[in-house]
Amino acid sequence: MTEYPALPEFSPFGAPLDWAWLRGARSEWGVHPKPSARGLTLLDVAVGTYGEVPEHPAKRSMAPRGADVEDATDMRYILNAKTDVWADNVMELYEEAVARQWSATRDIPWGELRELDDDVEHAMCQLCTLLTEVEMIAADLPAKWMWRMNHDFIEAKMFLCTQINDEARHAEVFRKRALANGGGLLKSRPGPTSLLRTIMEAKTYTQATALMHLLGEGLVLDLFRMGELIAPSDVEKRIFRLCMQDEARHVAYGTMHLRYAIEHDPDVAEEVHEALDHGETVLTDFASSPDTTTALAVLLAGGVEHVEDKGFPLQLELNKRQFSSYLARCERAGLSRLDRTVIPLDLLGIDPAAIRGSVAA
Amino acid sequence: MQADDLAFFEVLASVMNADPARFRPLGEAYMSAGVVMRGARGDFRARLDFDGLRCEVSPWDGASPCDYWLEGPTAVWEQMFANITGNGRAVGLETVNSLVMLGDDIRLQGRDPMGLDKFSRFNQTLQEFLDGAARLPERVPAS
Repeated sequence: MTEYPALPEFSPFGAPLDWAWLRGARSEWGVHPKPSARGLTLLDVAVGTYGEVPEHPAKRSMAPRGADVEDATDMRYILNAKTDVWADNVMELYEEAVARQWSATRDIPWGELRELDDDVEHAMCQLCTLLTEVEMIAADLPAKWMWRMNHDFIEAKMFLCTQINDEARHAEVFRKRALANGGGLLKSRPGPTSLLRTIMEAKTYTQATALMHLLGEGLVLDLFRMGELIAPSDVEKRIFRLCMQDEARHVAYGTMHLRYAIEHDPDVAEEVHEALDHGETVLTDFASSPDTTTALAVLLAGGVEHVEDKGFPLQLELNKRQFSSYLARCERAGLSRLDRTVIPLDLLGIDPAAIRGSVAA
Repeated sequence: MQADDLAFFEVLASVMNADPARFRPLGEAYMSAGVVMRGARGDFRARLDFDGLRCEVSPWDGASPCDYWLEGPTAVWEQMFANITGNGRAVGLETVNSLVMLGDDIRLQGRDPMGLDKFSRFNQTLQEFLDGAARLPERVPAS
């Protein structure tokens, strides 16, 4: 290593100089990460000691993982175990999120909005009112916990930053849609908010992520997928399709975080079960709230005329799909809910054996 | 050009690979998707490996792992491609997501919910890939 023997000991103003960073820090030097075909990704720079994410970081400071840390300032983090926040797909999801951003201002063909029948416009605006209300929970929740996460889990925090940005965009796009076609924001009642409060008040981050990523966002993901049938025009279809891609990333993080947490600390499973016991009950109230069910049924029916013979049956199909997907993700996370769920499987026509069979061993 | 022919999907891949600018606004995609068409001529299978802004097509035996696969009657696939070539892109309920959501025509299948979720995560890239059929000089005949 070059020793740089002739460096000055004092600045032009007489202040003593410290050249420790140049003369040999106790961090790994010369790792030479190789860019992959897509550029230099987080996975590419996870080399040598820089790629080692500790199970229990020794420091509580904002010092970057891998740096030569002296006199670390204690930031009083409370999520100091890797099992608290980590998911094995978090670097991949961060890169994906950065690569697949879109703009609610520019990428939606707002100019193609056309006048809709009054009942359909009202239903679309009611759904947008609900979505504007609930989408920001997936920004508020990580924001509540991120500053308590140990900085050695920087990639998880970076991914959650992308989620916050995604959810801001979702709130933006649904608010814009509510106002853009001659309608506006409609009814907001306590049902949905009680679910949001349950998520925000979860005692641990892992409980919160089960409620939000697995339960809440999982159901919203299937709602967005159903946007093909809900959307009255190509404008709304475009909105739902782009939101769907974002939402699927968030669900992927939550599922794999729970899996990681439970694999490494099986006691976490019961804690998450308890949260979901309560969450499923509150969710049932949310899903059956009068404004949501009627607005969705009208959109699925293409108007009030066929709400009974077409809208409600399609909605039942949507509910079946939502809860089946949720239960399958729970299986994947290592958290089987099939013998414990309060979701009325018989009523919805969900076969537990089919869900067990849908998940690879 | 027949839809249940590996050459057809190879042409779709070449359309994608020749025009990364069309896919760049959607972002890179990384997934492996199987296509299964069930028809009178027997089952046709292909594997689509998306790697960034490119896609590689290969025969698929149905056994090697894929993130997910899409399975349905050949006639339904042909109708979807006819819709794409007729409109310049899939419209109405002929998008691949619509067909899957409607349930029984084309089924989304997989062995793992995380693989299945990639259908949603990269859905618009897959749709843009399939919409490439509108750029071919020869149309896919509808059954």
